[in-house]
Amino acid sequence: MAGRETMKTTCRVVKPLMSTDFCEARRRAIGLYRAFYRYIPYIHKYFDIPKSESQIRSKIREQFYKNACVTDIRIIDILVMKGYMELQEIKYSWQQKGHVMANWKPTIEPRPTDFISKFLNGKD
Amino acid sequence: MGLLKKTTGLTGLAVSANPHHTLGALYGKILRTLQKMPENAVYRKHTEQIVRERAAVLQQTKDVSELEQKINCGQAEELIIQAENELNLARKMLTWKPWEPLVAKPPKGQWDWPPAQQ
Amino acid sequence: MSLFFNRTFGAGKFLGRIILSNKKSPIVQRLATKTDQATAQVETRPTVAKIDPIQKTHLIDFGKYIAECMPKYVQKVQLTAGNELEVLVPPEAVIPVLQFLKDHHSGQFANLVDIAGMDVPSRPNRFEIIYNLLSLRYNARIRVKTYTDELTPVDSACDVFKAANWYEREIWDMYGVFFANHPDLRRILTDYGFEGHPFRKDFPLSGYVEVRYDDEQKRVVVEPLELAQEFRRFELSAPWEQFPNFRGNPATEEVTNPSEDKPKQE
Repeated sequence: MAGRETMKTTCRVVKPLMSTDFCEARRRAIGLYRAFYRYIPYIHKYFDIPKSESQIRSKIREQFYKNACVTDIRIIDILVMKGYMELQEIKYSWQQKGHVMANWKPTIEPRPTDFISKFLNGKD
Repeated sequence: MGLLKKTTGLTGLAVSANPHHTLGALYGKILRTLQKMPENAVYRKHTEQIVRERAAVLQQTKDVSELEQKINCGQAEELIIQAENELNLARKMLTWKPWEPLVAKPPKGQWDWPPAQQ
Repeated sequence: MSLFFNRTFGAGKFLGRIILSNKKSPIVQRLATKTDQATAQVETRPTVAKIDPIQKTHLIDFGKYIAECMPKYVQKVQLTAGNELEVLVPPEAVIPVLQFLKDHHSGQFANLVDIAGMDVPSRPNRFEIIYNLLSLRYNARIRVKTYTDELTPVDSACDVFKAANWYEREIWDMYGVFFANHPDLRRILTDYGFEGHPFRKDFPLSGYVEVRYDDEQKRVVVEPLELAQEFRRFELSAPWEQFPNFRGNPATEEVTNPSEDKPKQE
């Protein structure tokens, strides 16, 4: 997009979302992880999903590690907020079996990487 | 006091037994709160003017319906609500200090419409 | 004369500086003739909205009044489409300005009609949050606009207007603008498990994921969507911007602009 301004690298003063330094943001993220961790037995109990507790645990770990490279405090805060909202949705059963299982993506085949399978799939 | 009206006709708004007393007390409180603001604050000037005029009418008229007619801003009970709101606002204004210079200038091109093409 | 100013119940003089009046007065009449000359001929086409010059003077006066009362917070006051008053404020000023408009004697904008959002990706603060207010007492409407970006929180107006609760959730859901101190900020319109904020200009038309029923799994599955190349081009300009007539006459006219240091108009 031509109209998009290029990212400026200069520092600017911004309004903090919640955390004021990295330690606090990290603490919030760990707090969220704990909250999820404590809720694992209930996820296992209330949702009729073919996953064991340890599988749920490793999935939650995986989702947290997906964002391990984020260093901007404000982005961490937003992600933590969204995480709490998701936990709330699971807690009140607003999310159902299908939504929870969507984290595992069982129907998605991995994209072909080598030449032959790409050719056979007809994809670049 | 005369005949008290039966209802204000508005849901949840009870008839006030003695609107003159309530209004007088509220206007006094507002004026005292406004005293704490700097002399040249425009908000203080305008609010003082409004409240002073209403308080003057309040003192001149004894009859409630006449008071409502003279102020021409709803029933006495609504006037009480307005005064309560103004008092609440004035107290908050003391912490906000809106008479100070502009807190933040808009970034360049923020309020341009249509947005600048680059 | 429109119905707007005929609401005279009870005789009596004005008290204080009431600008959005509910009654005619000779002073207003004189001001109106002045703007009449400025706005040229009278609109006669039946399908075009007629601008009431008296109402317009009232709005201009009230706009100046707000800017005078809160010089710390008001960046600009403008009139859009002839009779819509807009107050443009920085994000810090949302609560004070809304509280002022709601509680002040000569405003009494007690109804929050709507909160809207707007996304212009080329601006440094890409989102605009727009509060529409209605004053039943003076039969007047006003619009408060502020700006923010994806990560800067805006103060929640829930303390001032109870109605703001759901509207702010809508804005959060559609644009991803975070409201600080909101009592219950969560999604309201999109489905659980939905990804992205659909009213952002860079949100693809088809979304990021698609949902279907899977016979093998015996449930609904969510799958990421492969975007066809033609959907990856985002047209960010609004269609009406391309019309030269629109460019020629700006829809807004400035009332006051305290944020720019220049002599006051009039």
